Amino acid sequence: MEVDGGAAPSQGQLAPPAAEAVAPPKVERLNPVVQQQLNLESVKTRALGLYKTISRILEDFEAFARSNTTPKWQDALGQFSMVSMELFNIVEDIKNVSKAFVVYPRNVNAENATILPVMLSSKLLPEMEAEDTTKREQLLFGISGLPVHMQIEKLKTRIDMIGAACETAEKVISDCRKAYGLGSRQGPTLVPTLDKVQAAKIQEQENLLRAAVNFGEGFKIPIDQRQLPTSLPSHLADVLSFGDGAQNLGDNAGAYGKNTSSFSSNQGVLQTPGGQLIGRSVPSPSNAVAFDNASTPPMAYANSPRSGTNIMNTPSPQQQVQQQQQQRQKIMQLPHQQQLLVQQQLRQSSAAGVLGQGVMSQLHDITGQTQQKLQQQQFQNRQLQTSHMPHNIAQNQINQGSQLRSHINQFSGSANSALFNAAQSSPNSQMITNMSASMQSQSLLPRMQQFGLTGGHTQRNHPSQMLNDQMFGMGPSNPANMIAMQQQQQQQQGGFGNIPTHTQNLQSGMVNLPNTTQNPNFPQQRQQNQS
Amino acid sequence: MECVVQGIIETQHVEALQILLQGLCGVPKDRVRVHEFCLKSGPNLGVVPSEVRLLCDLAQPTPAWTVRHVGGAMRGAGAEQLSVLVRSVVESKVSSNALRFFYAVGYKLDHELLKIGFAFRFHRVVPITVTVTSANRMPKLHAVDDAVPLTPGIQLVEITAPAAGDNYNEVTAAVSSFCEYLVPLLHLSKPGVSTGIVPTAAAAASSLLSNSGGKAI
Repeated sequence: MEVDGGAAPSQGQLAPPAAEAVAPPKVERLNPVVQQQLNLESVKTRALGLYKTISRILEDFEAFARSNTTPKWQDALGQFSMVSMELFNIVEDIKNVSKAFVVYPRNVNAENATILPVMLSSKLLPEMEAEDTTKREQLLFGISGLPVHMQIEKLKTRIDMIGAACETAEKVISDCRKAYGLGSRQGPTLVPTLDKVQAAKIQEQENLLRAAVNFGEGFKIPIDQRQLPTSLPSHLADVLSFGDGAQNLGDNAGAYGKNTSSFSSNQGVLQTPGGQLIGRSVPSPSNAVAFDNASTPPMAYANSPRSGTNIMNTPSPQQQVQQQQQQRQKIMQLPHQQQLLVQQQLRQSSAAGVLGQGVMSQLHDITGQTQQKLQQQQFQNRQLQTSHMPHNIAQNQINQGSQLRSHINQFSGSANSALFNAAQSSPNSQMITNMSASMQSQSLLPRMQQFGLTGGHTQRNHPSQMLNDQMFGMGPSNPANMIAMQQQQQQQQGGFGNIPTHTQNLQSGMVNLPNTTQNPNFPQQRQQNQS
Repeated sequence: MECVVQGIIETQHVEALQILLQGLCGVPKDRVRVHEFCLKSGPNLGVVPSEVRLLCDLAQPTPAWTVRHVGGAMRGAGAEQLSVLVRSVVESKVSSNALRFFYAVGYKLDHELLKIGFAFRFHRVVPITVTVTSANRMPKLHAVDDAVPLTPGIQLVEITAPAAGDNYNEVTAAVSSFCEYLVPLLHLSKPGVSTGIVPTAAAAASSLLSNSGGKAI
């Protein structure tokens, strides 16, 4: 039947199909069967529905593009498959009746004049045509010589075979799915994604937590909370007895040799004449690191601006001279009595051990040196601070600490006398270098003692371990040392007399700390010592 | 020196993480209840303030104090490529009047926090410590009993291992490989690098909890 007019919806296009079912103002009517089959109304509705769906999806994508977020591809693909299926259905339905129709272009204007002939032609494009012929040849490869009905037969059998193979494959796949519990035939399971709000909340919490734990933000104590509460928890009850951070005890215990149990007097002593020193002499682990870097391959702090010999080789000359002068003055001023007293204390307090004896012998060598307790106390303060300061401390502090430390170190090691002598005479920069060596050897020493080795030689230990040793020594014995050393009020020279005590504490400190994390390094250390 | 990585996990999955760690480490967990004081040095102690942390372990019958200084991290191209942070750290046990001592020296309390959780300490090539804690803040100074979690829904997981200058590579490798085991539940990264949570953690957690069958540990 021929019909004139009805423009079929454009096929094969995803663009909103312009489906206009124009009732032809003609005399002829469609064959009612065809008309029913065509079912224009439903086609129109479906086409319109499809159009709306596609425009909605396009809008969603535009929104995604504008807000610069990624769409959920799972959903997008699902929607796309739905749309394409719907289109396919419509096209299929139209195809059934398309034989009854002819496309008659109505709006020919400049823009579609060129494309219309191509769209209307039923001849295949050249490449499509070539493809078609090759496929045909492939298909009829063996049987093109036969009469047509036999070709048809053969093709039919081929189709049947392929169909059977497909069915068995389907069966196998479904059996496997059941066997492996993969569930019914769906796409990949959706990865649970957090929606944006939740993710943002979690991110915020995470940042808060990380900042708090690493940097302490969010925990600051407000000003009004600065006073200690009246009821302290048990672990603080006997620890804190005065205001937080307030150093308001300026008492001064003048006489030496007095073992007071009050800690406050220590503070006073620390503050008054030693205050200045404390302010300046704060050796830091960076010093240790820097020293270490001078001697070891700078692996640990490759790009640290403070690595290398920068810090060490630029002491401020002014402060060096100052310190040296002060030191010499103090040496002169120290009365002999104090030395003797310290020696006495040494003998009393030194427990068994190679170290004690070694130091005693060395002590006799240094009768000319100062032994102020304050020096030792300050030195120990500095040692503590050494362990806890960050890497950026001024040079003057390094100088001072280095001098003191060098002396102390030498007396804690039996093999350090050479260093000590060198330190006595050499200029400051050299002392610092020596000090680095001696620092390391000091750290070695307790370990050597523990393992029964003697004769320490300078090695390049890691500064943290080295400082840790110092810390070990400082830790449990600190109060005792502090109390014993609070007496002197003079500055500068390290207390050589107390070194044995110090190192003895090191020893005991080592014994008392079996569980620290440094332990696993000890065997390594020993090997280093022995190497 | 130590190698350290941190990660976060939602509080609801902490139990599953505990089960996983129990299975991986083979040691019983240690309770962690640490009152941490962060002390900053005053101006009399140098131009640049330094920070020292005093940790009081309240889980022991008698409180055990530790002093800890965290130094700078390893830097450089090699350090960028490592997935763990290698930093210098100095730690030591101290007596209970260390706090008083630091105040005397000139340190001031900058902040304090209470960490409550558990830890696993075990040996896998190197001694590794995994701590899972919630950071609690104290509304009043030193009021340990009134501490409330800073982030109730999220807890911090930290894995540390001591290292030395010459073996930090193997320590790093050991820590990284251990972190691989924890991937179903959490992502671990250098401190300061935020990771987010693992979206499939819920599924992993439920499978962990169901596999164990409610076995009491």
